[in-house]
Amino acid sequence: MKIPLLSDSVSAGFPSPADDYAEENIDLNEHLISNPFSTFFLRVKGDSMINSGIKDKDLIIVDKSLTAKPGNIIIAMIDGEFTIKRLSIKNNELYLKAENHKYPDFSFRNHIDIQIWGVVIYSIHSYL
Amino acid sequence: MKSKSSSTEAIALIDANNFYASCEQSINPNLRNKPVVILSNNDGCIIARSPEARALKIKMGIPYFKVKESLNNLGVAVLSSNYSLYGDMSKRLMNLLKDYSEKIEIYSIDEAFISILRPKDKNLNPWARKVRCLIYQNLGITLTIGIAENKVRAKIANNLAKNIDSSAGIFDLARIYNDNDYLRKISVEKIWGIGKQTSNWLQSKGIKNAKEFRDMDEDEIIKKLGIIGKRLQMELKGNKCLPIEIIKKPKKEIQVSRSFGKPITKLEDLTQALAIYAIKASEKMRSQSLKSSAITIFVRTSHYSNHPYQKSAYKKLINATDNTSTILKTVIALSKEIYTPEYKLSKAGVLMQDLTNCKYLQQSIINYESQEKSKKSIRLMKTIDSLNKKFNNEVITWAITKKPQEWAMNRNSLSSGSTTDIRKIPNIMI
Repeated sequence: MKIPLLSDSVSAGFPSPADDYAEENIDLNEHLISNPFSTFFLRVKGDSMINSGIKDKDLIIVDKSLTAKPGNIIIAMIDGEFTIKRLSIKNNELYLKAENHKYPDFSFRNHIDIQIWGVVIYSIHSYL
Repeated sequence: MKSKSSSTEAIALIDANNFYASCEQSINPNLRNKPVVILSNNDGCIIARSPEARALKIKMGIPYFKVKESLNNLGVAVLSSNYSLYGDMSKRLMNLLKDYSEKIEIYSIDEAFISILRPKDKNLNPWARKVRCLIYQNLGITLTIGIAENKVRAKIANNLAKNIDSSAGIFDLARIYNDNDYLRKISVEKIWGIGKQTSNWLQSKGIKNAKEFRDMDEDEIIKKLGIIGKRLQMELKGNKCLPIEIIKKPKKEIQVSRSFGKPITKLEDLTQALAIYAIKASEKMRSQSLKSSAITIFVRTSHYSNHPYQKSAYKKLINATDNTSTILKTVIALSKEIYTPEYKLSKAGVLMQDLTNCKYLQQSIINYESQEKSKKSIRLMKTIDSLNKKFNNEVITWAITKKPQEWAMNRNSLSSGSTTDIRKIPNIMI
Protein backbone atom coordinates (compact mmCIF):
# COMPACT_ATOMS: atom_id res chain seq x y z
CA MET A 1 0.00 0.00 0.00
CA LYS A 2 2.47 2.64 -1.11
CA ILE A 3 1.29 5.71 -2.91
CA PRO A 4 4.00 8.03 -4.19
CA LEU A 5 3.47 11.50 -2.86
CA LEU A 6 6.06 13.12 -5.04
CA SER A 7 7.49 11.78 -8.24
CA ASP A 8 9.57 13.40 -10.89
CA SER A 9 8.63 12.82 -14.48
CA VAL A 10 11.66 14.41 -16.07
CA SER A 11 12.83 11.88 -18.60
CA ALA A 12 15.66 13.70 -20.34
CA GLY A 13 17.71 16.84 -20.12
CA PHE A 14 18.46 18.49 -16.82
CA PRO A 15 18.04 16.65 -13.54
CA SER A 16 15.02 17.71 -11.53
CA PRO A 17 15.78 20.05 -8.63
CA ALA A 18 13.55 17.76 -6.57
CA ASP A 19 15.86 14.81 -7.05
CA ASP A 20 17.91 15.78 -4.04
CA TYR A 21 14.91 15.35 -1.78
CA ALA A 22 14.21 11.83 -0.69
CA GLU A 23 10.95 10.57 -2.10
CA GLU A 24 8.32 10.17 0.57
CA ASN A 25 5.52 7.65 0.44
CA ILE A 26 2.25 7.71 2.26
CA ASP A 27 2.06 4.35 3.94
CA LEU A 28 -1.53 3.62 4.85
CA ASN A 29 -0.43 0.91 7.28
CA GLU A 30 1.51 3.48 9.20
CA HIS A 31 -1.38 5.97 9.30
CA LEU A 32 -4.27 3.63 9.95
CA ILE A 33 -2.73 1.00 12.19
CA SER A 34 -1.22 1.88 15.55
CA ASN A 35 -1.00 -1.66 16.93
CA PRO A 36 0.21 -3.75 13.98
CA PHE A 37 0.75 -6.91 16.01
CA SER A 38 -2.84 -7.08 17.18
CA THR A 39 -4.53 -5.77 14.04
CA PHE A 40 -6.33 -8.08 11.61
CA PHE A 41 -8.19 -7.68 8.32
CA LEU A 42 -11.60 -9.19 7.64
CA ARG A 43 -13.94 -9.12 4.65
CA VAL A 44 -17.61 -8.24 5.09
CA LYS A 45 -20.31 -10.32 3.43
CA GLY A 46 -23.83 -9.00 3.88
CA ASP A 47 -25.75 -5.81 4.61
CA SER A 48 -26.66 -5.86 8.31
CA MET A 49 -24.46 -2.82 9.05
CA ILE A 50 -25.62 -0.72 6.10
CA ASN A 51 -26.73 2.24 8.25
CA SER A 52 -23.28 2.57 9.75
CA GLY A 53 -21.72 2.83 6.29
CA ILE A 54 -20.23 -0.66 6.28
CA LYS A 55 -21.30 -2.39 3.08
CA ASP A 56 -21.04 -5.78 1.46
CA LYS A 57 -17.47 -6.68 0.33
CA ASP A 58 -15.87 -3.95 2.45
CA LEU A 59 -12.49 -4.59 3.97
CA ILE A 60 -12.48 -3.92 7.68
CA ILE A 61 -9.55 -3.36 9.98
CA VAL A 62 -9.90 -4.76 13.49
CA ASP A 63 -7.70 -3.95 16.46
CA LYS A 64 -7.89 -6.67 19.10
CA SER A 65 -5.83 -4.78 21.65
CA LEU A 66 -8.58 -2.20 22.24
CA THR A 67 -11.17 -2.69 24.94
CA ALA A 68 -14.64 -2.32 23.43
CA LYS A 69 -16.70 0.62 24.64
CA PRO A 70 -20.39 1.38 24.05
CA GLY A 71 -20.70 3.05 20.65
CA ASN A 72 -17.83 1.04 19.09
CA ILE A 73 -18.46 -1.22 16.13
CA ILE A 74 -17.15 -4.59 17.17
CA ILE A 75 -16.55 -8.08 15.87
CA ALA A 76 -18.08 -10.72 18.11
CA MET A 77 -18.13 -14.47 18.00
CA ILE A 78 -21.68 -15.69 18.51
CA ASP A 79 -22.40 -19.41 18.45
CA GLY A 80 -19.37 -20.21 16.34
CA GLU A 81 -19.78 -17.38 13.80
CA PHE A 82 -18.15 -13.99 13.38
CA THR A 83 -20.59 -11.12 13.43
CA ILE A 84 -20.24 -7.37 13.25
CA LYS A 85 -22.49 -5.16 15.38
CA ARG A 86 -22.49 -1.90 17.29
CA LEU A 87 -21.91 -2.34 21.02
CA SER A 88 -24.78 -0.35 22.53
CA ILE A 89 -26.36 0.36 25.84
CA LYS A 90 -30.07 0.56 26.72
CA ASN A 91 -31.63 0.67 30.18
CA ASN A 92 -28.19 0.20 31.67
CA GLU A 93 -27.68 -3.03 29.79
CA LEU A 94 -25.21 -3.82 27.01
CA TYR A 95 -26.46 -5.33 23.76
CA LEU A 96 -25.29 -5.74 20.16
CA LYS A 97 -27.15 -3.57 17.69
CA ALA A 98 -27.49 -4.37 13.97
CA GLU A 99 -27.36 -1.25 11.83
CA ASN A 100 -30.18 -2.44 9.58
CA HIS A 101 -33.78 -2.70 10.79
CA LYS A 102 -34.19 -6.04 8.98
CA TYR A 103 -31.80 -7.74 11.42
CA PRO A 104 -32.31 -8.52 15.11
CA ASP A 105 -30.26 -7.12 17.96
CA PHE A 106 -28.43 -9.51 20.27
CA SER A 107 -28.79 -9.33 23.99
CA PHE A 108 -25.95 -10.75 26.05
CA ARG A 109 -28.58 -12.23 28.31
CA ASN A 110 -30.05 -14.62 25.73
CA HIS A 111 -26.76 -15.87 24.33
CA ILE A 112 -24.32 -17.84 26.40
CA ASP A 113 -21.58 -18.09 23.79
CA ILE A 114 -20.84 -14.45 22.97
CA GLN A 115 -17.29 -13.20 22.93
CA ILE A 116 -16.06 -9.83 21.71
CA TRP A 117 -13.20 -10.52 19.31
CA GLY A 118 -12.04 -7.01 18.44
CA VAL A 119 -12.90 -3.39 17.76
CA VAL A 120 -13.39 -2.19 14.16
CA ILE A 121 -11.15 0.81 13.56
CA TYR A 122 -11.68 1.37 9.81
CA SER A 123 -13.68 0.05 6.91
CA ILE A 124 -12.44 0.38 3.37
CA HIS A 125 -15.00 0.59 0.60
CA SER A 126 -14.24 0.42 -3.10
CA TYR A 127 -16.24 2.74 -5.37
CA LEU A 128 -15.18 0.97 -8.53
CA MET B 1 16.94 -27.00 49.35
CA LYS B 2 16.72 -23.27 49.11
CA SER B 3 17.99 -21.84 45.88
CA LYS B 4 19.41 -18.40 45.28
CA SER B 5 16.27 -16.29 45.24
CA SER B 6 18.02 -13.16 46.47
CA SER B 7 18.74 -12.24 42.85
CA THR B 8 16.13 -9.86 41.49
CA GLU B 9 16.33 -11.07 37.93
CA ALA B 10 14.02 -13.93 37.04
CA ILE B 11 13.79 -16.00 33.87
CA ALA B 12 10.40 -16.90 32.42
CA LEU B 13 9.82 -19.54 29.78
CA ILE B 14 6.68 -18.54 27.94
CA ASP B 15 5.09 -20.91 25.47
CA ALA B 16 1.83 -21.06 23.56
CA ASN B 17 -0.45 -23.99 24.24
CA ASN B 18 -1.38 -26.12 21.21
CA PHE B 19 0.02 -23.32 19.08
CA TYR B 20 -0.98 -24.42 15.56
CA ALA B 21 -4.47 -25.45 16.60
CA SER B 22 -4.89 -22.23 18.61
CA CYS B 23 -3.91 -20.11 15.59
CA GLU B 24 -6.60 -21.80 13.51
CA GLN B 25 -9.22 -21.49 16.25
CA SER B 26 -8.31 -17.88 16.83
CA ILE B 27 -9.28 -16.68 13.34
CA ASN B 28 -12.06 -19.19 12.68
CA PRO B 29 -14.90 -19.04 15.23
CA ASN B 30 -16.32 -22.20 13.73
CA LEU B 31 -13.43 -24.18 15.20
CA ARG B 32 -13.70 -22.76 18.69
CA ASN B 33 -14.37 -25.26 21.45
CA LYS B 34 -14.21 -28.04 18.87
CA PRO B 35 -11.71 -30.86 18.42
CA VAL B 36 -9.18 -29.76 15.79
CA VAL B 37 -6.12 -31.60 14.52
CA ILE B 38 -3.40 -30.31 12.19
CA LEU B 39 -1.58 -32.57 9.75
CA SER B 40 2.09 -32.42 8.80
CA ASN B 41 3.24 -31.60 5.27
CA ASN B 42 1.72 -33.97 2.74
CA ASP B 43 -1.09 -34.65 5.20
CA GLY B 44 1.08 -37.35 6.74
CA CYS B 45 0.74 -37.32 10.53
CA ILE B 46 -1.09 -35.47 13.25
CA ILE B 47 1.26 -32.77 14.53
CA ALA B 48 -1.03 -30.61 16.65
CA ARG B 49 -4.26 -31.06 18.60
CA SER B 50 -6.64 -28.65 20.25
CA PRO B 51 -7.41 -29.42 23.92
CA GLU B 52 -10.76 -30.82 22.78
CA ALA B 53 -8.94 -33.25 20.46
CA ARG B 54 -6.57 -34.25 23.29
CA ALA B 55 -9.57 -34.99 25.45
CA LEU B 56 -10.72 -37.46 22.78
CA LYS B 57 -7.38 -39.28 23.29
CA ILE B 58 -6.26 -38.63 19.71
CA LYS B 59 -2.54 -39.40 19.65
CA MET B 60 0.22 -37.08 18.54
CA GLY B 61 2.32 -38.22 15.56
CA ILE B 62 -0.09 -40.88 14.39
CA PRO B 63 -0.35 -41.30 10.57
CA TYR B 64 -3.54 -39.70 9.29
CA PHE B 65 -4.67 -42.60 7.11
CA LYS B 66 -4.86 -44.85 10.18
CA VAL B 67 -7.35 -42.63 12.00
CA LYS B 68 -9.10 -40.89 9.11
CA GLU B 69 -12.36 -42.75 9.59
CA SER B 70 -12.54 -42.49 13.35
CA LEU B 71 -11.75 -38.76 13.23
CA ASN B 72 -14.56 -38.35 10.77
CA ASN B 73 -16.96 -40.24 13.04
CA LEU B 74 -15.93 -38.15 16.04
CA GLY B 75 -16.54 -34.93 14.09
CA VAL B 76 -12.96 -33.74 14.40
CA ALA B 77 -11.95 -30.85 12.14
CA VAL B 78 -8.86 -31.92 10.17
CA LEU B 79 -6.63 -29.20 8.72
CA SER B 80 -3.47 -29.22 6.61
CA SER B 81 -0.72 -27.18 8.18
CA ASN B 82 -0.77 -23.50 7.26
CA TYR B 83 2.73 -22.29 8.09
CA SER B 84 2.25 -18.76 6.83
CA LEU B 85 -0.51 -18.31 9.43
CA TYR B 86 1.57 -19.85 12.24
CA GLY B 87 4.61 -17.80 11.24
CA ASP B 88 2.61 -14.57 11.26
CA MET B 89 0.99 -15.34 14.63
CA SER B 90 4.41 -16.22 16.05
CA LYS B 91 5.83 -12.90 14.86
CA ARG B 92 2.90 -11.07 16.48
CA LEU B 93 3.32 -13.03 19.73
CA MET B 94 7.05 -12.38 20.03
CA ASN B 95 6.66 -8.67 19.27
CA LEU B 96 3.89 -8.28 21.83
CA LEU B 97 6.08 -10.04 24.41
CA LYS B 98 8.84 -7.52 23.67
CA ASP B 99 6.64 -4.88 25.30
CA TYR B 100 7.35 -6.63 28.59
CA SER B 101 11.07 -7.13 28.28
CA GLU B 102 13.73 -6.23 25.78
CA LYS B 103 15.70 -9.24 26.99
CA ILE B 104 13.89 -11.94 25.08
CA GLU B 105 15.28 -15.03 23.40
CA ILE B 106 12.99 -16.49 20.75
CA TYR B 107 13.58 -20.17 21.29
CA SER B 108 11.14 -21.66 18.77
CA ILE B 109 8.02 -20.72 16.82
CA ASP B 110 5.96 -20.78 20.02
CA GLU B 111 8.46 -20.45 22.90
CA ALA B 112 10.55 -17.63 24.30
CA PHE B 113 12.78 -17.05 27.31
CA ILE B 114 12.30 -13.66 28.91
CA SER B 115 14.40 -11.97 31.53
CA ILE B 116 12.34 -9.96 34.01
CA LEU B 117 13.07 -8.08 37.21
CA ARG B 118 11.31 -9.26 40.34
CA PRO B 119 9.30 -6.59 42.11
CA LYS B 120 10.00 -5.75 45.76
CA ASP B 121 7.48 -8.27 47.07
CA LYS B 122 9.10 -10.94 44.80
CA ASN B 123 5.69 -11.89 43.45
CA LEU B 124 5.65 -12.19 39.65
CA ASN B 125 2.23 -13.84 39.45
CA PRO B 126 0.33 -10.58 38.79
CA TRP B 127 2.75 -9.82 35.94
CA ALA B 128 2.36 -13.30 34.47
CA ARG B 129 -1.44 -13.10 34.71
CA LYS B 130 -1.34 -9.78 32.85
CA VAL B 131 0.82 -11.22 30.05
CA ARG B 132 -1.47 -14.24 29.67
CA CYS B 133 -4.53 -12.03 29.62
CA LEU B 134 -3.11 -9.59 27.09
CA ILE B 135 -1.95 -12.29 24.67
CA TYR B 136 -5.30 -14.04 24.91
CA GLN B 137 -7.14 -10.82 24.11
CA ASN B 138 -4.81 -9.80 21.29
CA LEU B 139 -4.24 -13.12 19.58
CA GLY B 140 -6.69 -15.63 21.07
CA ILE B 141 -3.75 -17.75 22.18
CA THR B 142 -3.34 -19.24 25.67
CA LEU B 143 0.13 -19.17 27.23
CA THR B 144 1.88 -21.23 29.85
CA ILE B 145 4.44 -19.32 31.91
CA GLY B 146 7.15 -20.99 33.95
CA ILE B 147 9.28 -18.74 36.15
CA ALA B 148 12.55 -19.55 37.92
CA GLU B 149 16.10 -18.35 38.54
CA ASN B 150 17.49 -19.67 35.25
CA LYS B 151 16.62 -21.32 31.96
CA VAL B 152 16.78 -24.97 32.99
CA ARG B 153 14.54 -24.40 36.00
CA ALA B 154 12.22 -22.10 33.99
CA LYS B 155 11.67 -25.02 31.59
CA ILE B 156 10.82 -27.23 34.55
CA ALA B 157 8.50 -24.58 35.97
CA ASN B 158 6.72 -24.40 32.63
CA ASN B 159 6.29 -28.16 32.65
CA LEU B 160 4.85 -27.97 36.18
CA ALA B 161 2.50 -25.14 35.17
CA LYS B 162 1.10 -27.38 32.44
CA ASN B 163 0.64 -30.41 34.64
CA ILE B 164 -0.59 -28.94 37.92
CA ASP B 165 -4.23 -28.04 37.36
CA SER B 166 -4.42 -25.49 40.15
CA SER B 167 -1.53 -23.49 38.69
CA ALA B 168 -3.76 -21.81 36.06
CA GLY B 169 -0.92 -21.84 33.57
CA ILE B 170 1.62 -20.06 35.80
CA PHE B 171 4.25 -21.61 38.07
CA ASP B 172 7.06 -19.82 39.89
CA LEU B 173 9.63 -22.40 40.98
CA ALA B 174 11.91 -19.83 42.63
CA ARG B 175 9.29 -19.08 45.28
CA ILE B 176 8.94 -22.71 46.37
CA TYR B 177 10.89 -23.13 49.59
CA ASN B 178 11.34 -26.87 49.34
CA ASP B 179 11.20 -27.93 45.71
CA ASN B 180 12.12 -31.61 46.20
CA ASP B 181 8.60 -32.88 45.60
CA TYR B 182 8.25 -30.79 42.46
CA LEU B 183 11.61 -31.82 41.01
CA ARG B 184 10.70 -35.46 41.68
CA LYS B 185 7.78 -35.07 39.27
CA ILE B 186 10.18 -34.29 36.41
CA SER B 187 11.71 -37.42 34.92
CA VAL B 188 15.31 -37.02 33.73
CA GLU B 189 14.51 -37.14 30.02
CA LYS B 190 12.24 -34.11 30.51
CA ILE B 191 15.14 -31.97 31.74
CA TRP B 192 16.14 -29.44 29.08
CA GLY B 193 19.37 -30.50 27.44
CA ILE B 194 19.27 -34.16 28.41
CA GLY B 195 19.06 -36.38 25.37
CA LYS B 196 18.08 -39.99 24.94
CA GLN B 197 21.57 -41.42 25.52
CA THR B 198 22.26 -39.38 28.62
CA SER B 199 18.85 -40.24 29.96
CA ASN B 200 19.53 -43.97 29.46
CA TRP B 201 22.86 -43.67 31.25
CA LEU B 202 21.27 -41.81 34.16
CA GLN B 203 18.48 -44.39 34.43
CA SER B 204 21.08 -47.16 34.54
CA LYS B 205 22.66 -45.31 37.48
CA GLY B 206 19.29 -45.24 39.19
CA ILE B 207 18.80 -41.50 38.58
CA LYS B 208 15.18 -41.18 37.55
CA ASN B 209 14.16 -37.56 38.13
CA ALA B 210 15.39 -33.97 38.33
CA LYS B 211 15.80 -34.07 42.12
CA GLU B 212 18.05 -37.13 41.93
CA PHE B 213 20.07 -35.57 39.12
CA ARG B 214 20.52 -32.34 41.09
CA ASP B 215 21.78 -34.27 44.12
CA MET B 216 24.00 -36.64 42.13
CA ASP B 217 27.76 -36.79 42.69
CA GLU B 218 29.32 -33.88 40.77
CA ASP B 219 32.49 -35.73 39.80
CA GLU B 220 30.52 -38.56 38.27
CA ILE B 221 28.60 -36.07 36.12
CA ILE B 222 31.74 -34.27 34.98
CA LYS B 223 33.47 -37.55 34.14
CA LYS B 224 30.62 -38.76 31.95
CA LEU B 225 28.88 -35.62 30.69
CA GLY B 226 31.64 -33.03 30.90
CA ILE B 227 31.09 -29.35 31.50
CA ILE B 228 27.67 -29.38 29.82
CA GLY B 229 26.32 -31.87 32.36
CA LYS B 230 27.89 -29.91 35.18
CA ARG B 231 26.19 -26.73 33.97
CA LEU B 232 22.81 -28.45 33.89
CA GLN B 233 23.30 -29.60 37.46
CA MET B 234 24.40 -26.12 38.54
CA GLU B 235 21.27 -24.62 37.01
CA LEU B 236 19.08 -27.21 38.72
CA LYS B 237 20.66 -26.04 41.98
CA GLY B 238 19.59 -22.49 41.17
CA ASN B 239 22.77 -20.95 39.73
CA LYS B 240 22.70 -19.09 36.46
CA CYS B 241 25.00 -20.57 33.82
CA LEU B 242 23.15 -20.26 30.51
CA PRO B 243 22.63 -16.67 29.36
CA ILE B 244 19.63 -15.37 27.45
CA GLU B 245 20.70 -15.20 23.82
CA ILE B 246 19.11 -12.09 22.43
CA ILE B 247 21.13 -11.67 19.28
CA LYS B 248 20.10 -13.91 16.47
CA LYS B 249 22.98 -15.53 14.65
CA PRO B 250 22.99 -14.56 10.98
CA LYS B 251 21.74 -17.27 8.69
CA LYS B 252 24.49 -19.39 7.20
CA GLU B 253 22.33 -21.17 4.65
CA ILE B 254 18.88 -21.15 3.15
CA GLN B 255 17.18 -24.42 2.46
CA VAL B 256 14.02 -25.20 0.52
CA SER B 257 13.05 -28.86 0.59
CA ARG B 258 9.78 -30.74 0.40
CA SER B 259 8.50 -34.29 0.30
CA PHE B 260 6.73 -35.19 -2.92
CA GLY B 261 3.05 -36.12 -2.88
CA LYS B 262 3.92 -39.05 -5.15
CA PRO B 263 7.39 -40.58 -5.53
CA ILE B 264 9.38 -39.36 -8.52
CA THR B 265 11.04 -41.71 -10.99
CA LYS B 266 11.52 -39.45 -14.04
CA LEU B 267 14.43 -37.00 -14.40
CA GLU B 268 12.06 -34.44 -15.91
CA ASP B 269 9.96 -34.38 -12.71
CA LEU B 270 12.98 -34.19 -10.42
CA THR B 271 14.40 -31.28 -12.40
CA GLN B 272 11.09 -29.47 -12.27
CA ALA B 273 10.76 -29.96 -8.49
CA LEU B 274 14.32 -28.75 -7.87
CA ALA B 275 13.75 -25.77 -10.18
CA ILE B 276 10.69 -24.72 -8.18
CA TYR B 277 12.63 -25.01 -4.91
CA ALA B 278 15.51 -23.02 -6.46
CA ILE B 279 13.13 -20.21 -7.46
CA LYS B 280 11.73 -20.12 -3.89
CA ALA B 281 15.23 -20.15 -2.38
CA SER B 282 16.34 -17.27 -4.64
CA GLU B 283 13.31 -15.22 -3.58
CA LYS B 284 14.07 -15.91 0.07
CA MET B 285 17.67 -14.75 -0.41
CA ARG B 286 16.64 -11.53 -2.12
CA SER B 287 14.10 -10.75 0.58
CA GLN B 288 16.94 -10.89 3.14
CA SER B 289 19.51 -9.12 0.91
CA LEU B 290 21.68 -12.23 0.76
CA LYS B 291 23.74 -13.69 -2.04
CA SER B 292 25.03 -17.21 -2.27
CA SER B 293 28.28 -18.50 -3.68
CA ALA B 294 27.68 -22.24 -3.39
CA ILE B 295 24.73 -24.50 -4.09
CA THR B 296 23.99 -28.02 -2.88
CA ILE B 297 21.06 -30.07 -4.07
CA PHE B 298 19.99 -33.42 -2.62
CA VAL B 299 17.49 -36.18 -3.13
CA ARG B 300 16.50 -39.24 -1.13
CA THR B 301 14.07 -42.13 -0.94
CA SER B 302 11.52 -42.52 1.83
CA HIS B 303 12.79 -43.36 5.34
CA TYR B 304 10.63 -46.48 5.18
CA SER B 305 12.00 -47.65 1.83
CA ASN B 306 13.58 -51.13 1.61
CA HIS B 307 15.95 -49.81 -1.05
CA PRO B 308 17.26 -46.60 0.42
CA TYR B 309 19.16 -44.13 -1.72
CA GLN B 310 20.42 -40.65 -1.17
CA LYS B 311 22.71 -38.39 -3.09
CA SER B 312 23.77 -34.79 -3.16
CA ALA B 313 25.69 -32.58 -5.56
CA TYR B 314 27.57 -29.36 -4.90
CA LYS B 315 28.77 -26.48 -7.01
CA LYS B 316 30.81 -23.45 -6.11
CA LEU B 317 29.89 -20.28 -7.99
CA ILE B 318 32.44 -17.81 -9.28
CA ASN B 319 30.42 -14.80 -8.16
CA ALA B 320 27.96 -14.66 -5.32
CA THR B 321 24.50 -14.29 -6.79
CA ASP B 322 20.83 -13.93 -6.01
CA ASN B 323 19.77 -14.10 -9.64
CA THR B 324 17.14 -16.78 -10.22
CA SER B 325 18.26 -17.47 -13.80
CA THR B 326 21.86 -18.13 -12.78
CA ILE B 327 20.79 -20.31 -9.88
CA LEU B 328 18.29 -22.23 -12.04
CA LYS B 329 20.94 -23.00 -14.65
CA THR B 330 23.23 -24.45 -11.98
CA VAL B 331 20.51 -26.44 -10.25
CA ILE B 332 19.16 -27.89 -13.51
CA ALA B 333 22.67 -28.97 -14.52
CA LEU B 334 23.32 -30.51 -11.09
CA SER B 335 20.03 -32.41 -11.04
CA LYS B 336 21.40 -34.90 -13.60
CA GLU B 337 24.15 -35.84 -11.15
CA ILE B 338 21.82 -36.94 -8.39
CA TYR B 339 19.13 -38.56 -10.52
CA THR B 340 18.76 -42.30 -10.73
CA PRO B 341 15.93 -44.16 -12.47
CA GLU B 342 16.19 -47.17 -10.16
CA TYR B 343 14.70 -45.65 -7.02
CA LYS B 344 11.44 -44.09 -6.00
CA LEU B 345 12.56 -40.66 -4.89
CA SER B 346 10.45 -39.09 -2.18
CA LYS B 347 12.18 -35.89 -1.13
CA ALA B 348 14.54 -33.33 -2.63
CA GLY B 349 15.92 -29.98 -1.65
CA VAL B 350 18.04 -27.01 -2.60
CA LEU B 351 20.57 -25.43 -0.23
CA MET B 352 22.00 -22.00 -0.84
CA GLN B 353 25.34 -21.80 0.98
CA ASP B 354 28.18 -19.38 1.75
CA LEU B 355 25.69 -16.56 2.14
CA THR B 356 26.89 -13.01 2.28
CA ASN B 357 25.04 -9.80 2.83
CA CYS B 358 24.82 -7.82 -0.43
CA LYS B 359 25.80 -4.63 1.35
CA TYR B 360 29.23 -5.96 2.24
CA LEU B 361 29.80 -7.98 -0.86
CA GLN B 362 33.07 -7.72 -2.71
CA GLN B 363 33.02 -8.09 -6.45
CA SER B 364 35.21 -10.90 -7.62
CA ILE B 365 38.15 -9.84 -9.79
CA ILE B 366 37.19 -12.34 -12.45
CA ASN B 367 33.79 -10.82 -12.91
CA TYR B 368 32.95 -11.17 -16.59
CA GLU B 369 29.41 -9.97 -16.23
CA SER B 370 29.45 -6.42 -17.50
CA GLN B 371 28.16 -3.87 -15.06
CA GLU B 372 25.27 -2.90 -17.33
CA LYS B 373 24.11 -6.49 -17.62
CA SER B 374 24.28 -6.97 -13.89
CA LYS B 375 22.29 -3.80 -13.23
CA LYS B 376 19.68 -5.00 -15.70
CA SER B 377 19.34 -8.33 -13.94
CA ILE B 378 18.99 -6.66 -10.54
CA ARG B 379 16.17 -4.53 -11.93
CA LEU B 380 14.49 -7.57 -13.47
CA MET B 381 14.59 -9.52 -10.18
CA LYS B 382 13.27 -6.50 -8.28
CA THR B 383 10.38 -6.12 -10.71
CA ILE B 384 9.48 -9.81 -10.54
CA ASP B 385 9.60 -9.84 -6.74
CA SER B 386 7.46 -6.72 -6.43
CA LEU B 387 4.88 -7.97 -8.94
CA ASN B 388 4.69 -11.35 -7.21
CA LYS B 389 4.33 -9.61 -3.88
CA LYS B 390 1.66 -7.28 -5.17
CA PHE B 391 -0.47 -9.97 -6.76
CA ASN B 392 0.34 -12.63 -4.19
CA ASN B 393 2.27 -15.48 -5.64
CA GLU B 394 3.72 -16.44 -8.91
CA VAL B 395 2.25 -14.15 -11.53
CA ILE B 396 5.67 -14.10 -13.10
CA THR B 397 7.70 -17.22 -12.99
CA TRP B 398 9.86 -19.50 -15.09
CA ALA B 399 8.41 -21.76 -17.81
CA ILE B 400 9.73 -24.93 -16.19
CA THR B 401 7.26 -24.57 -13.30
CA LYS B 402 4.25 -24.43 -15.59
CA LYS B 403 4.05 -28.08 -16.64
CA PRO B 404 1.63 -30.15 -14.55
CA GLN B 405 3.25 -31.09 -11.24
CA GLU B 406 2.13 -34.64 -10.66
CA TRP B 407 4.51 -35.06 -7.74
CA ALA B 408 3.35 -31.98 -5.85
CA MET B 409 2.56 -32.07 -2.16
CA ASN B 410 -0.86 -33.21 -0.96
CA ARG B 411 -2.75 -30.61 0.99
CA ASN B 412 -6.21 -32.03 0.76
CA SER B 413 -7.58 -30.82 4.06
CA LEU B 414 -6.92 -27.19 3.34
CA SER B 415 -6.57 -24.80 6.18
CA SER B 416 -9.18 -22.19 6.80
CA GLY B 417 -7.89 -18.69 6.74
CA SER B 418 -4.98 -16.38 6.50
CA THR B 419 -3.75 -13.25 8.20
CA THR B 420 -1.19 -12.51 5.50
CA ASP B 421 -2.98 -13.06 2.17
CA ILE B 422 -5.79 -10.59 1.46
CA ARG B 423 -7.63 -13.08 -0.76
CA LYS B 424 -7.93 -15.57 2.07
CA ILE B 425 -8.71 -13.36 5.06
CA PRO B 426 -11.70 -14.50 7.15
CA ASN B 427 -15.17 -13.47 6.00
CA ILE B 428 -17.82 -12.19 8.34
CA MET B 429 -21.31 -13.06 7.17
CA ILE B 430 -23.63 -10.37 8.47
